[in-house]
Parts: sequence; C-alpha cells; structure tokens
Amino acid sequence: MESISRLSEFKSFKEKIEFIKTQKGLEQFQLILYSKKTVIKSLSLSDYFSTIDPESSVLSSSFQILEKDNKEQKKLASLCSFHSSHLALCLHIGNKNKALGVIFIPYDNPPSNKSRALILNFKTQIETQIEIKELEQKLSITNKELSNKLLEIESLIDVTEIINSQQGLKKSLFENILITILSILNASKGMVLLKDEKSGFFNVMSNFNILKEELPNKIIRITKGVLKELNESKTSKIIDEPQKYEILKASQKDCMVSPIITGNSVEGVLLLFDKESRTGLIKFTQQDLRLFDSLSKKVSLAYDNIKLIDSLKSSNKLVDNIMSSITTGIIMINVLGEIEFVNHSAKKIFQIEQEEVMNNHYYMVFQNNLDLVSLLENSEGKDEIIYENNFKIQDTKEIPHEINLTLSPVYNEDNERSGTVFSFEDLSGINKIKSTFKKYVSENIVDELLQNENALELGGVQSEVCVLFSDIRGFTALSEKMKPSEVVYLLNTYFESMIDVVFFHNGTLDKIIGDELMVLYGVPLKNKNDSQSAVNSAIAMFKALEKFNNKIEKENLPKLQIGIGINYGKVVSGNIGSERQMNYTVIGDAVNLASRLCSHAKSGEVMISESVFDRLDNNKGFISQKPIRVKGKSQEIQNWIYNAF
Amino acid sequence: MMNKVTNVELIGDVIVVATEGYLNKDLGDEIQKAAQEHIKNGVNKVLINLERSNIVNSIGASILIELIEELQETDGVLAFCELAPIIEKTFKIMGLTKYCESYSTQDEAISKMS
Repeated sequence: MESISRLSEFKSFKEKIEFIKTQKGLEQFQLILYSKKTVIKSLSLSDYFSTIDPESSVLSSSFQILEKDNKEQKKLASLCSFHSSHLALCLHIGNKNKALGVIFIPYDNPPSNKSRALILNFKTQIETQIEIKELEQKLSITNKELSNKLLEIESLIDVTEIINSQQGLKKSLFENILITILSILNASKGMVLLKDEKSGFFNVMSNFNILKEELPNKIIRITKGVLKELNESKTSKIIDEPQKYEILKASQKDCMVSPIITGNSVEGVLLLFDKESRTGLIKFTQQDLRLFDSLSKKVSLAYDNIKLIDSLKSSNKLVDNIMSSITTGIIMINVLGEIEFVNHSAKKIFQIEQEEVMNNHYYMVFQNNLDLVSLLENSEGKDEIIYENNFKIQDTKEIPHEINLTLSPVYNEDNERSGTVFSFEDLSGINKIKSTFKKYVSENIVDELLQNENALELGGVQSEVCVLFSDIRGFTALSEKMKPSEVVYLLNTYFESMIDVVFFHNGTLDKIIGDELMVLYGVPLKNKNDSQSAVNSAIAMFKALEKFNNKIEKENLPKLQIGIGINYGKVVSGNIGSERQMNYTVIGDAVNLASRLCSHAKSGEVMISESVFDRLDNNKGFISQKPIRVKGKSQEIQNWIYNAF
Repeated sequence: MMNKVTNVELIGDVIVVATEGYLNKDLGDEIQKAAQEHIKNGVNKVLINLERSNIVNSIGASILIELIEELQETDGVLAFCELAPIIEKTFKIMGLTKYCESYSTQDEAISKMS
C-alpha cells in the first residue's frame, strides 16, 4: 500500500513508470500505447506510443498470460520486448471498451500480489487520465464550436447594427458589412458589386484585401458568367473553379458568391474569396454557405430599405421643392388639430414662423382669425371639400389679406380621416397687380394675363401690332386761352373717357404725350383681329367724344376735336429706357407711320394705312384716298379715311 | 492597406509588435514569428499593438492563443493595446481576454507590464 501511495505522489507518468521499474520483479515493466496519439502526447507519453495496433479484442481488467508462440496473439506479442522468456503477463489499458495499450511483465518471475496491485493502480490512473484528457479535448472542441456559433450570432447582430446605424451611406455601409462577413467566415478577401442604376453594369462598391491588379477591369453584366448564374438561381453558391471567371481572378482556392436582391432583381453581389485555416487555404463548407446566405439576405433587405428611403427622400425633396416654390399657401393640420406642415407661401401670407406653428393647434395659430377658426372647426366634421373665395384674414401683423381657400379632408391608408389640408391663395398681390395694370390695359387683358402667364412676352421681342395715335386738334392754341386748372380738368376728363373706350376694345395704353394718346392692339396679348379692334376703338372714340363734348359744353368749356391715325406692322416691344427709368413700349417704323397718319388726319377723321385696311373684316365707311408722302418714307403711302361726322 | 507587422520594438523588457490590416492567418503567423524571435532570447512579455488593424478572423485569433500558450510555458504574458471594438469582441468570444490584458494605449500597457 505504501508503494501505491508513493505512486500517486509522482506527477508525471514517466516518473511513475520509473518508480514501478524500481520495484522488485518489475524491472522489465513495459508500457505500450497504440491509440489516441494526441491524448497520449498531451500526457507526455509519446515515448511509449507505437504505431502498430495489435487489434486486440481481449479486454480484461486483470492480468492475462501472453503466449508468445500463440498465433492468435502473435501481433500483440510482437510489441513485447522480452526475449528471455516465452511467456509474459499482459494487462490491457482501455477506454470505453476499446483497447488503447498494454502493459507487459515477464511471466517467468511472476510479480507478487503487491506488485500486481501497484500495476493495476497504475492502469487505473492512466485510464482515468486518458478519459479526463479526452473529455477536456471534447470540451475544448465544444467550446470552440460554441465560440464560433457565438461569433456567427454576433456577426448577424453586427450586420444588423451596421445596417441600422448607417442607412443611406452606401459605401461605408457595404465596407463595414463586407469586413464583418469576411472575418466571421475566415475569408481572405472579399468584394461587393453593385448595379449602376443608369448603365445596368455592376461596379465594385467595396473590396477588401484584393490587389488593384486583381480587381475586375472589364464591364460586368448580369448576362455573363457568375452573375448570370446568380441571376438565374437567385441563391448563394460556392464556386469551386473560380479561375473560370474573370471577376473571381483574385481567388486561389474557391469562392462564395451571393446575390443582393431587391424585389426580384439582382442589384448587387457579395463575393468572398479563399477560406483560411491554421494550415492554409481550405474550401468553404456548406455550413459556411448557409451562414453567408443568411447574412446576404439581411444585406438584401437593408439594401432594399436604402433604396426605398432614397426614393422616399427624393420624393419628399421633390414635394418640398414644389411646396416651397408654389405661391399657394399650404398648411397641413392633423386629426388633433395640430399643424404638421406649413409651406413657404403660407408662412409669408400669415407672417408666421415655422417653429411657432409646428405642432401647435390651429386655434392658437389663427386666434386673430376667428372666422377661419370656425371654418376649420366646421371642416373637421365634414368629409367634403370646402371652398371660400375672397375670404378675409389678418396676418400676425394685423395686415388684412383676401384669400381664396380650400379645406380638403385627407385620409390614411385605412381610409380614416387623418387631417385637413388648408390651401389658399393670397389675392392681395393679384388685386394690387390688377389695379396697377388696369391703368394701362383693359381689365380683360389683366385677367387673361393673370390666368395665362405664358401669353405675356416681356423683353425685346419683335411682334406685329396695330398702333393708334389720336391727338386733339388745335389744343395748344385752345389751352392758352384757359386756366391751367381747367386745362388739367379738361384733359383728365377727356382721357378718362377715351381710355375707357380703348380698354373696352382690348387696347393697351402705351403713353399719353401732351394731348396725344398712343394705344397698342396686339400687345401684350394678341386678339383675334387687332386692326379691327383698333378701328372699332377709333370709331367708338368719336362717339365717346361727342358725349364728352356735350358734357363739357354744359360746363362752359370748349369742345374738343380729334384726329386718329392707325397703322399695322412690325415693332420691337420691350422695356425700353435707361436703368433709372424704363417703360414698356414699342418702337419701329410702324409706330412712326401711325403717328404720321394721325398728323395727316383731319379733325373727325380716322386715317388708316394699307396694312390696316387689308386686315379689316368690316371696312365699311372707309374711302380710299390719294397716296400721301410722309416724312422718313421714300414711297407714297396708300391710305383710307373714315369720316366720323 | 497591406496586412503586415509594421514595427517590432523592445521597450524595456517588453517586446512590442505593431500591426496593420487584416489579422488573419498570414498576419497572425507574422506576429508569432516576430514574437518568437525575441522569446527564444529570453523575452517573455509581448505586447501587440493593433491600432491599425480593425479586422480579425478566428484563425488570426487562434494563432494568438498559440502564442499565449507558448508564453505561459515560460511564465510570460501577452497583452494587447489599442483594440478596435470589433476585435475586442472577437477576442472576448474566443476566450483570449481570459488569459491576457487589454490596454487602451501602448504607454499604459508598457507601464503596467514593466
């Protein structure tokens, strides 16, 4: 028992064996181990390892007699190094009913019971240690597998986090995804290809550990090579012969490729090259492919989202641009009555700041517009569009405005009321334009211009117009006999009367020069027959003059006589003048001729040129005259006269 | 960026191995070789500065485990500094951090290891 306890004190098996050999009768103790080489090595027993496996099926916990000449035991006996005897005692060392080794002791000098007990104890120790080492190794493998699984799970989490944190930043997103996937799958190199929206070709969006010369330098299409296969199968795959494909030329062993799919279209490809192991490059396994496939599906989902967000952003940007550029005020009010959106025009009309109104109830925002508040309240319960024209409001600076408004209910996807869109047009500006323009052109033209801005051609453009000049005959001499105040009154009353007629016939008042009126027909808007309008206007002016004369006669003011000249022709219209003062007018020969015709016309006459006469639908009353010579014209001018009296 | 050992420097009794790029098999082998050169000369404190490496795979990590075991035989230590979060996580999962310290900076590591 003493020797057994001493045996236990030795730490290494080598020391234990040396101790056993010091025991009487055990000098030739021999240990042979022929299985589980790695475990044997870890127990520092490699010196006792034999590559010859005797394939012994005899497993006994007690000593057996080995007959060296026994044919059945010949292989086992070959391991025994005794030469002095024909017989030996052997004791099998096993693990889970499998023989791993054997202990030999010479039989010719049989060991004592004490020695046998010592050897049996040694056998137990070695078997226990082998089992422990095996368990440790299994545990280590299991731990490693668990670590790898944990890394795989972490990689899925990492990819999710990358996707969530970097949406929209395509390049850095794919770089981070690539290195995460690449490292978890022990790949040497990797690449991400993405489809160019415009060309449809695939470009390298990101690559890792690939030399410049190894990168694909040809056009990559979905209709060729690996991409074609991926497009057909729409699933991840291992490519065993990468050298067959141009884009996989960086690979030495094999590759894994996976499509990035949005909808049903391959929008990109993830490529991993050459799996590493401790001993060098190895082939990717089906398990690797499974993980790669699930990771790339996540990437596909993320890319789909990125594309959706991109498209949403550009749509939103478009809507924002439209909303901020339109002159119509738009205010979006949610179902709680809070303002969710306000565009630039709305802010300008109401003189409100975005931060003051956003998420504020409309009652608070429009508290100085109680009529509007009640209209909004009214609209909440109605599923119909409310229109109001010339609705009076006040901005925050208490400046009154007139608006045309629309309150439209809006609905969500479930067709539930989600709010109201309050859109409105400020009429103040339009009214101002109208009142300004109406001093120069007829109301009809103003309205038409406001409705059809394209019809207005500003700037230096050549156009054909009909020009009418009228002046008061003998006015200078007349005015010299009158008081200045009477002159002004007489002229203002006369012009008012004439301009009404002009506007009625869609004429545009170009200018008033002293007692002379210059009127245009055909600018800024073309009429059906501008010459006819001018002539009608001229005849009507005489009728108006008659009324005017009757009126002023009663006021003891002198009657006025006028002559009118009309010509049709090409003019240049535009803003003409200096930077300090500009006027919208027309210039050209046609204008000069109209002025000359006016000078030739006698009191009560309308003198028109050939260009006007030819365009008249109704030339009744016009009598052809002898051609006249006018200043600035080498040829005589054909003319017709209408006598108003 | 190439994957390589960029500097090997003996600071006091600590050999500092600095790297760049992907800590994979090739770079792992290079680190091991660089460290072993000094270990055989009796150095048993190794600091790996991974400031310029932001990616590791399990093969690279397992080579570092081999290096840890090698150093443990001579009661030596292996430590890291300037670890990127993703590398730190991988080392933790693979069990490296149970056997070696990780420091924020090289200076801190040297002062603690010396």
